[in-house]
Amino acid sequence: MNSEAHTNSKTRKNSEARKNSEAQMDPVEYTLRKRLPRKLPKRRNDVYVNMKTDFRAQLARCQKLLEGGGHREICVHGLGLAINRAINIALQLQASSQGALQLAANTSTVELVDDLEPEDPDEAGEPMTRTRNNSAIHIKVFYPDAQ
Amino acid sequence: MSAAKVKMREKKMRNQPASVQYPSSSSNVESSTQNGADAPGTGKNADPLKGGLSEVHPSTERQKKTPHQSGWVRGHHKDGGGYTKEMPKYVTAGAFARARAAEVSAMLKAVRKTTSSSRVFEALPKHMRRRAMSHNTKRLPHRLREVANRMREKGLQAGSKKKKEQAKSKSRKARRRHGNLLLEFNRRQRKNIWLETHIWHAKRFHMVKKWGYCLGDRPTYKCYRACYRAMSSHCLLQDLSYYCCIELQGDEDKLLAALSQLTSKEAGPTFAAALCLSGRRQGSVMVYRAGWYPSQPLGPVTFLWRPRTQGSVHRQLWIWAHPTLKQDLLPELQTVCQCCEAVLPPAAPVEVNPTLEAESEPENTPEAKPVPGTKRKRSCKDATGPPAKKILGDGTRLRSTPVSWRSSSNGIVINDLTMEIVRYRLIGPQSHSVLVDTLEAATGCDEVPKSQTCSLWWPQHCSDEAKMTLHQQQADIFNILKGIYSTAELPSGTVLGLTVDDPRLTLPRKRVKALPCVKQAQEVDEEKRRKLMLEGVPEPCCQSFIWEQSVRDNVTDNKISEQELNRMRSEVLVPGSRLSPTPLQGRVPILLVEQPGKQVGHEMSSWGAGWDLLLPKGWGMAFWIPLVYRGVRIGGLNMSLKHSQNKAAPHFPRDYPDCPAGMRFQEEQEAELLNKFKRHPPAKRTNYIKHGCVAPFCCPWQQLAEEWEIIVREGGTQTRTTAQADAVTEERTSQQAISITKPPSRFTVLRNRKALKLLSAWCRPTTSKGQRPCRVGELPPISCEAVTSFLSAHAMSLVWVHVSLPSKGKPEYHAMLCVPTPDDLKALGNRQGTGGPQEPPHRDHFKGRIKRRKKDPKKAATPSVTPDKPDGKKADLIFASDLDTNASKDPKSFSESSSDLVLGLWPDPLPSVASHCSRVTVGWVTQGDFSMSAGCGEALGFVSVAGLLNTLLNQTSEHKGKLLLRNPTSLHYRFAKINIEV
Repeated sequence: MNSEAHTNSKTRKNSEARKNSEAQMDPVEYTLRKRLPRKLPKRRNDVYVNMKTDFRAQLARCQKLLEGGGHREICVHGLGLAINRAINIALQLQASSQGALQLAANTSTVELVDDLEPEDPDEAGEPMTRTRNNSAIHIKVFYPDAQ
Repeated sequence: MSAAKVKMREKKMRNQPASVQYPSSSSNVESSTQNGADAPGTGKNADPLKGGLSEVHPSTERQKKTPHQSGWVRGHHKDGGGYTKEMPKYVTAGAFARARAAEVSAMLKAVRKTTSSSRVFEALPKHMRRRAMSHNTKRLPHRLREVANRMREKGLQAGSKKKKEQAKSKSRKARRRHGNLLLEFNRRQRKNIWLETHIWHAKRFHMVKKWGYCLGDRPTYKCYRACYRAMSSHCLLQDLSYYCCIELQGDEDKLLAALSQLTSKEAGPTFAAALCLSGRRQGSVMVYRAGWYPSQPLGPVTFLWRPRTQGSVHRQLWIWAHPTLKQDLLPELQTVCQCCEAVLPPAAPVEVNPTLEAESEPENTPEAKPVPGTKRKRSCKDATGPPAKKILGDGTRLRSTPVSWRSSSNGIVINDLTMEIVRYRLIGPQSHSVLVDTLEAATGCDEVPKSQTCSLWWPQHCSDEAKMTLHQQQADIFNILKGIYSTAELPSGTVLGLTVDDPRLTLPRKRVKALPCVKQAQEVDEEKRRKLMLEGVPEPCCQSFIWEQSVRDNVTDNKISEQELNRMRSEVLVPGSRLSPTPLQGRVPILLVEQPGKQVGHEMSSWGAGWDLLLPKGWGMAFWIPLVYRGVRIGGLNMSLKHSQNKAAPHFPRDYPDCPAGMRFQEEQEAELLNKFKRHPPAKRTNYIKHGCVAPFCCPWQQLAEEWEIIVREGGTQTRTTAQADAVTEERTSQQAISITKPPSRFTVLRNRKALKLLSAWCRPTTSKGQRPCRVGELPPISCEAVTSFLSAHAMSLVWVHVSLPSKGKPEYHAMLCVPTPDDLKALGNRQGTGGPQEPPHRDHFKGRIKRRKKDPKKAATPSVTPDKPDGKKADLIFASDLDTNASKDPKSFSESSSDLVLGLWPDPLPSVASHCSRVTVGWVTQGDFSMSAGCGEALGFVSVAGLLNTLLNQTSEHKGKLLLRNPTSLHYRFAKINIEV
């Protein structure tokens, strides 16, 4: 499921980074190829939000996990452009539960790798690899323990 | 009288004695008088013609007839008693009996005589039959016994004669004995090469004979979806050993100079790309005939350089090619390298030879053949002079066929390493965890006394300090693979050399699913992992001993047999524990090559990435079973097609119509599809003419390119409608006759990267959701001048496009890609839900011709184009009469004329393909299916560059790149979006 979790989210940041890189080097000489972000092993209650799937479907999936799936807590992850959507999903979940759910958000930075492949192989030589950072959010949505 | 009636009558009369005449309706009069039945005066009325006449004049004839109406009516007559016959008043017994005598005797004869197939007891009535009568004649009534005995003896004699002619086949038990089984297997793989995993596959797959190999096409069990899931989330395994490896050895600069003739920098990186040249990456390149660059392509190859050894310019290069490509590639390589001297097998085939000898000897010697009548066992003993050996490598090759060529001028050596190296492909994000689970870096062997000279390669290597440090480094890198989570994280094309232990030693007892282990992952040093991800494998670690012929042969020869291994296992103290120390023979040099996944397009990037595993020959099954035990799925040829389709990569040879191999493939496919089509009864076939599909089985690319070239040349860059295009193509057909003398230029597939980039930018909608106006500023926008200048270079080109259907529809192969009219696009703009326009059904003018041809071959031989509706019935009447005479006279011309007309298909000179339908065709789909990764129909195909540009010029920016797609068996057009991905 969700194999391409928070993949190529085309963030503004991305394009900025790209513009910067293009300013430095001749754009004709290189092709930019983005690698997938590192994928981490995934528990059943992890939800990786992306921009391709329909918003309602992702929301429904979270609701199913919380209600039918019997999980007391789930984790919603979003990277780059999908941060907004991850927050949106978490807030929607909370609103529809009439206050039963609580949220705890964490942010982090994810290192992404880009490949730059030379167009003219014989002169330019080595293809380059470059890392850049992107923001990510991890929201824990949980029922507080009844005390 | 119709033909059927004549036949019936003939059948009836067949067994009649010649003297008796059965009264037919016309010869009624004579026969009745002959038979002695005296019926004077009735003859006239009995005539059917007269009867018919009597209807015409009822007033006169009827009155006469009515008193005699009580006569018989024989058979069924349309006019209800056309003739009547009076009962004779008396019968002369003598004459009557004489007349019947012959009839009676014939009847008696027929009753008495038994035909050859019937048994005696079959003459008995049912209630007198007994069980096993044919076996035991005593169960028959006494009077029949003698006959039955005679027949039985006859039958036995005949039976024994037949049996003697057949060679005595061995019993199943004997056939299954190991030696005999091997002999049989060796015999069966003389024509088509078996891969090492053949028997494993043959038990589980539908096998096909292709390209001189026996290959698994698809599993016999249902696993299409499961295999897709394996590719996208776990691991799918394929045996690609049928790919041919050609080894080139020589000085680096000389090799590069020779190879540069075959490639062009315009089409992407060549053999000389820096990273590939260092041996750290595998490269792929499109090969052309020497010096012919844009025309005459041969096909795609992947290549691998052996890393440099210090201070030596001598290099080694492996070129991997598809078997259909090899026959074109090898002569081309020989010419560019000037390698014409065939080196007669000095080293390489020597160890192949004994196996070949062993295989051929027992079959060629006459004593070994099972002589009929001799005992089985003796013949068996004769055959076992030298024990049969399993064929390793290429079994179909003759011993004398050279596999190595040397050049006297520049010192380059070409070796054909077909079937010398086993190649497995693991596809999927978890393929590295499968590898890490299965393989273990080889353990050293300190305990071996160094003085002892050993024939095995590993102990010798262990004594060398430098080699051991290298091995240690490689093992370290291999262990870092445990720390990554997806195969796609590594740089694409990474190469890693390694020496591993025999994987059979660590075989799990049950099939398990290899998954990345979080705990192991955390143990891996983060810094090292990052370095690997960014920079790939350092150059020295790409070295592997699999490059060395001597080591490969050593490893192949010294493989521990399965039997021996099992014996060693049984001697282990704790059952099921690992063998220790590891037997010395169990060290195998391997090479791991990362395969990049989907590299084009924005979605699903690096889908289908994986690893290739290269092994020395003979070790195929030793690695296959351990891999299978790690829970991978196995795919066949079918899955490799789907893999390339989901990757949006062209699949060789299907998607290379301009290469010789691609052309051969097209011909084969056409013949196969046509055969399949003809197997259906004509009424159940799709009538492709009515569907407006000119070429359902084979795409006439050349004709398409030519037609579009003319359309564009004639019309310049004006806007043209279908009607105009129609007119032009008609002109073309008239021109064709004139321009035959002109040498036609072949179509090519556009592979120039710059041109492709330009096209790709042009056919992208500039203002659409999710699409940035990407770098439009740098490329010239689409305009008449730009297009003309582009077309001046690439008018006869096709371009590879990726088609996706946003709404409904599942594209099939050979679906047409058509240009929507402005009205269609308007309708699309108004309502998104519209399915697309419909093609009005066409008329099949050939159907009548085929029908007539069947009726009358004579007339059909002279071609007539006139439509034939009105005269159908008349022709029927006339031709029926002389049917039997004609059919027997000229069957030859009949078969000739009918061969080129098949119901539902256009006969050979095709009409204009571009403007045949209401929407102008620009191309066809070569592979298409519902894509499970995109969730909609996706297809890959080619369109004519001229046609595409012509279309793009007329399209508004929001509808750029929108085409219509129509399956050959449907009249419904679907909207499709095309993408050119570079």
